[in-house]
Amino acid sequence: MIKMTNIVKRFGAQTVLSEVSFETKYKEIFGLLGPSGAGKTTIINILTNQLSQDSGTHAIGVTPFETGLMLDEDGLYPRLSCIENLNVFADIYGMPHKKSLEVLKSVGLEDAVKKAVNTLSRGMRQRLALARAILHEPKLLFLDEPTSGLDPGTARGIHRLILSLRDKGATIFLTTHNMDEAVKLCDRVALLHKGKIVEHGGPADICMRHNAMKTVPDLEAVFINMTGTALQ
Amino acid sequence: MRTIKAIFIKQACDTLKNWMVLIQFILFPIMALIMTVLIAKPADDIPNSMFVTMFAAMYAGMTPLVTVASVIAEDKEHKSLRFLVIAGVKPQEYLLGISGFVLTVGLIVAVLFGLIGGFGGVEFVKFVLVLTLGSVASAILGATIGVISKNQQVATATVTPVFMILAFSPMFAEFNETISKMTSFLYTRQVSMLVNDFDMSLTEPVLIVLANIAVVFVLFVVAYRKKGLRI
Ligand SMILES: Nc1ncnc2c1ncn2[C@@H]1O[C@H](COP(=O)(O)OP(=O)(O)OP(=O)(O)O)[C@@H](O)[C@H]1O
Ligand SMILES: [Mg+2]
Repeated sequence: MIKMTNIVKRFGAQTVLSEVSFETKYKEIFGLLGPSGAGKTTIINILTNQLSQDSGTHAIGVTPFETGLMLDEDGLYPRLSCIENLNVFADIYGMPHKKSLEVLKSVGLEDAVKKAVNTLSRGMRQRLALARAILHEPKLLFLDEPTSGLDPGTARGIHRLILSLRDKGATIFLTTHNMDEAVKLCDRVALLHKGKIVEHGGPADICMRHNAMKTVPDLEAVFINMTGTALQ
Repeated sequence: MRTIKAIFIKQACDTLKNWMVLIQFILFPIMALIMTVLIAKPADDIPNSMFVTMFAAMYAGMTPLVTVASVIAEDKEHKSLRFLVIAGVKPQEYLLGISGFVLTVGLIVAVLFGLIGGFGGVEFVKFVLVLTLGSVASAILGATIGVISKNQQVATATVTPVFMILAFSPMFAEFNETISKMTSFLYTRQVSMLVNDFDMSLTEPVLIVLANIAVVFVLFVVAYRKKGLRI
């Protein structure tokens, strides 16, 4: 679905990505793991053509119209209500407004339909941003830290939603620095450290390879083992 | 077309909730109305339409400029523009949606001005036409400033001196021969002259305003290519 080959990206003198290569399969949840500043958002920006790379190539197996995107900056219209925000995009995609309402329900915002975005809590805004990303039922979904800063209950709700989207046939590319999330959700992960992918594969396989199985797969231990730094 | 309509509706919903933008549209006609009723009507030596033409000319030079620039700069600052671009909205669709809305409101306000001024028939049509033409030039110039500005603050800082020159120079031109000559190529000056004298020929001033539109449009295209609407 996504293929990235030898991508190099510099900001001025700083090399943020050095020869990053990976591939994701259709209908899987692929997790990109790395600490803050590793270059996760930069990879999403390059894959969605918001940034151009210095060298290397990338391709995705769907049209831009078939991708959905949730970034750390939500880009919502602060004065518009939840439903108005979604309806702008429903109109652009040529979808009926009742779809906006459906999607709001699926992220648990049915009580905030007419609330203005600038009166929402952080978690609610994040769920609205997710709702906008999935409104047009994209085949490929980019989620940049979809649960960061959310309470455990809300995060679990979002996890369920992500899993059900995958089961309906979507491919999901997400970034996180939360190990448990990665182990619970992802079919495969790549560990990003200082702009290089240091390990990739199924979470359990990776942990087996590094004898970090303990009672549950412990990706955190693998990461510390390989890089000497913690993820969070 | 669907997309332009979506942006148009977004802007309509947003502007109705945004007092800061709304006031730009309401301020000038209200001022004109108050001055006309309180000063022009009772006085024998002041033409009834004097304040209307004065404020209408200022309005056409300023309101579309300021509002389009601040809307685009805000959309850039809040990153909402990125999501439109990613959803496949083309820059010209976005601009037509935003400025289409601003110009529609502009047209309503121009009609309002015409009614306050009490113009009839041909005069009324000429008046609205000239104001609309000026507003188009003003809106595209605003879009250019919006696109090159990183955020709203920068847009406001850029727009202020520009509109000061555009909106007030026609007034100074009344008193000073040199300023009058220097500003005769500006669309605001032509609009101001036209709305003050309906007997003058439309051809030359309209050509000058159209030339202004052409120049700001080229400026916009250059600014867009250079700065893009992305990050
Ligand atoms: N536009 C930019 N200009 C200059 N440097 C940038 C820019 N965007 C990112 N960087 C730098 O690139 C590095 C990687 O940033 P990136 O946002 O991709 O990290 P991240 O893995 O997403 O981190 P986080 O978990 O905090 O979101 C950082 O050092 C950052 O300072
Ligand atoms: Mg990031």
